[in-house]
Amino acid sequence: MNVVVCVKQIPDPAAPQSLEPGTHTLDRSGKLILDDSDAYGVEMALQLAEQAGGGDVTLVSMAPNGETSGLRTALAMGAASAVLVSDDALKGADALTTAKVLAAAIKKSNPDLILTATESSDGYTGTVPVQIAELLGLPSITFAKSVVIEGGNVKVQRQTESGYDDVVAPLPLLVTVTAGVVEPRYPSFKGIMAAKSKPVETVTASDLGIATGAAGQEITSVVDAEARAAGEIVVDDGDGAQRIVAFLEELKLV
Amino acid sequence: MVGRIVIGLAITIVCFAVAGRRFFWLSRLIRSGAPAKRPYQGLRKAAEAEVVEVAGQKKLLQWTIPGLAHFFTMWGFTVLLLTIIEAYGALFNQNFAIPFIGHWSAVGFLEDFFSVAVLVSLLVFTGIRIKNAPARKQRQSRFYGSHTGAAWLVLMMIALVIITLLIYRAAQENTGHFPFQGDWWAFASLGVAKVLAPLGTGVNSVIENVALLANIAVITGFLVFVSYSKHLHIFLAPINVGTSRRPRALGGLDKTPDMDMENISEDTVFGVGKIEDFTWKQMLDFSTCTECGRCQSVCPAWTTDKPLSPKLLIMGLRDNMFASADRLLSKDSGEAAEAETLVPTVIDPDVLWSCTTCGSCVEQCPVDIEHVDAIVDMRRYEVLMESRFPQEANLFLRNIENQGDPWGLGGAKRLEWTEALDFDVPVVTSSIPDGVEYLYWVGCAGALDDRGKKQAQATARMLHRAGVTFAVLGPKESCTGDPARRFGNEYLFQEVAKANIETLKEVGAVKIVATCPHCFNTIKNEYPALGGEFEVIHHAELLAHLVNNGKLVPGGGYSGTVTYHDPCYLGRHNRVFDEPRDVIDAIPGAKQVEMGRCREKGFCCGAGGARMWMEENIGKRVNMDRTDEALGTGADIVSTACPFCMIMLDDAVQASGKGDEVRVMDISQLVEESLLSGSAPSSAPANASDDA
Ligand code: SF4
Ligand code: SF4
Repeated sequence: MNVVVCVKQIPDPAAPQSLEPGTHTLDRSGKLILDDSDAYGVEMALQLAEQAGGGDVTLVSMAPNGETSGLRTALAMGAASAVLVSDDALKGADALTTAKVLAAAIKKSNPDLILTATESSDGYTGTVPVQIAELLGLPSITFAKSVVIEGGNVKVQRQTESGYDDVVAPLPLLVTVTAGVVEPRYPSFKGIMAAKSKPVETVTASDLGIATGAAGQEITSVVDAEARAAGEIVVDDGDGAQRIVAFLEELKLV
Repeated sequence: MVGRIVIGLAITIVCFAVAGRRFFWLSRLIRSGAPAKRPYQGLRKAAEAEVVEVAGQKKLLQWTIPGLAHFFTMWGFTVLLLTIIEAYGALFNQNFAIPFIGHWSAVGFLEDFFSVAVLVSLLVFTGIRIKNAPARKQRQSRFYGSHTGAAWLVLMMIALVIITLLIYRAAQENTGHFPFQGDWWAFASLGVAKVLAPLGTGVNSVIENVALLANIAVITGFLVFVSYSKHLHIFLAPINVGTSRRPRALGGLDKTPDMDMENISEDTVFGVGKIEDFTWKQMLDFSTCTECGRCQSVCPAWTTDKPLSPKLLIMGLRDNMFASADRLLSKDSGEAAEAETLVPTVIDPDVLWSCTTCGSCVEQCPVDIEHVDAIVDMRRYEVLMESRFPQEANLFLRNIENQGDPWGLGGAKRLEWTEALDFDVPVVTSSIPDGVEYLYWVGCAGALDDRGKKQAQATARMLHRAGVTFAVLGPKESCTGDPARRFGNEYLFQEVAKANIETLKEVGAVKIVATCPHCFNTIKNEYPALGGEFEVIHHAELLAHLVNNGKLVPGGGYSGTVTYHDPCYLGRHNRVFDEPRDVIDAIPGAKQVEMGRCREKGFCCGAGGARMWMEENIGKRVNMDRTDEALGTGADIVSTACPFCMIMLDDAVQASGKGDEVRVMDISQLVEESLLSGSAPSSAPANASDDA
């Protein structure tokens, strides 16, 4: 079974970030690392391919400056190869453009299954995965907390606010996985070594036949989030438990 | 006469042949190990160790009674070599005496004295073995898991050597063949002769022949037995002690493999996966273990009911080495490739991951076995080659990798601790400003953990007060890599270490002061192998220096009892024992009480060896065990000099419900407290705010 995993390489979330002055988009010129939330998709893909008795896990990513360090992390975990779309013309691309680019890159490997995170940890639009599915004409299941392949079908437990739905759909399709769907492995040194020589194909937008032009969407302004009001500190004078219950009742949680 | 020679020689030849074959095989086996790539430490250090540890039995004598008994047995064996010469001489010539010295009273006395001393020692050993019988004391016994049957046999054989010796000497006296004829300096032989004399010369002559042959048979038989048992240490201990890491196998780890991607291929193996990956020195270690269990009895893992015993670990590796001998000696790479890895069959994962790298085992081992390096070698293989380790550790490794600290809080937060200070700490951006003496390496705990921050703040205030100038790296600082390294992730360690060394060189760091003993140890002892040579000092040393010089005068604001807990990486690993105690002693109202396990014998808090980042769900918690001991002293402050010890001990104090009565504090906080109250001397105004 061949699986494609979309992985994003993002600026280190722990490092101070800045926005590009003109476009208000995130400055992505520095070192990029593998988005933590994509490690789950990579692990899921590796496990599914293994359970299916073989098949390749291919990574697809779009990043500026031919950046591959995040891809190498995912390759070190065990993915076989990667396709990287890197093109100056795609700088600041909006969600739909990104989806078009990724869909075109995915198409080349004709996978049985496409896995993505539910959303990236820097952009947080959460719209790209379903756009990709739509562009490829495939069904999609979002928020998977468990993924099992049975015959030609995929069985997903789809996280909802009140619990989960059991969803079954035929392959091929796209599934977005939540953090916690599986525990990502820590790459072994062997894996890190092997990753150095795994193939990463770098392509441009025009290689994929994508016309780059005016983005359909722009960020007009960015404002600071409102500072959160300080919480109430309750000192336990022996009535701590009752106070907690009272607080929860107030929120109608109990 | 002829019969006596023939029988004596026949026994000797057979036994020497059997033992010789075994020794030859052993030496081939040990030499089949990987090369030990350590710089030669010089004959002087080796000779010193032989004198102090082998001849002087220093480590054994730390345990007085068994130490003395062993001292006399060891020297007994050495002195009684003379009697072996006499025995073989007597085989050929009944009137044989060693040339020149053979009739000296002093020689006769020494021989007899040590004969008796060995017999007494054997009684002591017997008592110890009965008292500590594993059958009764189970895990509490240091002999639990040792080959006790073989040990009893050894005691019996040694007894027989001495008994046959005394009998043939006595009979010699009675037949007129004794080299010390009628000389009461050979008191024991003459004493026994008195008993045998009434039997008459004829019987004594028979006894002389039989006992002499028996003596030779027992000695040569013992040689064979030794070559096949844990008693090999008689011959191997001096070699092992002479080739061990000096001054001790503590502090930095032994091996820093070259992990440069350019220099390694896909078949490079890191760490130890199979027995053949150990060096010859480590194989010598395994062969030398005496199964004495001193290591086991002090191991924080074993004594809190975890499956790891350093003794059983070494014995397990030795057994595996012997069992794999055919493979090791054939050097057949195909066979080696098929062999199973040590973990999980020979070494259980729970055994491997229970070690806190506290170094107590290395400290205690009388034959200088290097357990910690062996354990980390195996961890390296598990992590780097197999990616097989406790799942929960994933997080701290990823955090170090991505955020530069095990908590994953990130460099941007590394200056928050300075906000509580009422003076400015220079943050190095390009290079350390002129006139600033120290670079203060705050460490992840000091910069990011709440309790650690208090320690860092108190230290900073005390240094500032004493007029010490220092600057910090702030966001440029990252984890030194200690937990990653001790966890076995050498790759991650070297990545962060190299980056840190580069930063330190860039800013022109010369003198570094660290509050965390792990940072201190790593920068001081492990960075040099990666090209980073700095002058590193721990804040306990610096504070002691300031207190001794009168630059920092503690106040009278504290009075009470303090017990000091030795952090493993400050005390045992780096021998800083006195300085923190000097600081506490300088506080007028502080009365120090020691815990039973202190200084070299200090008991771990449970956080080392990356155990801080793993779950501890087998047996008693190590920090509880240590805290019970600390609380037992009745002290109202448990003081230490390591942020991780502070966290572990404080957690345990809280868990024991003693949080209101007992406080856990760094020595810098203690000094600060002494200055806080109104009674602080007016010449030294307290400039510390109490909102730490
Ligand atoms: S280093 Fe400490 S925890 Fe590890 S085996 Fe030795 S005594 Fe036990
Ligand atoms: S390793 Fe050392 S201390 Fe431990 S049992 Fe063997 S000889 Fe004794």
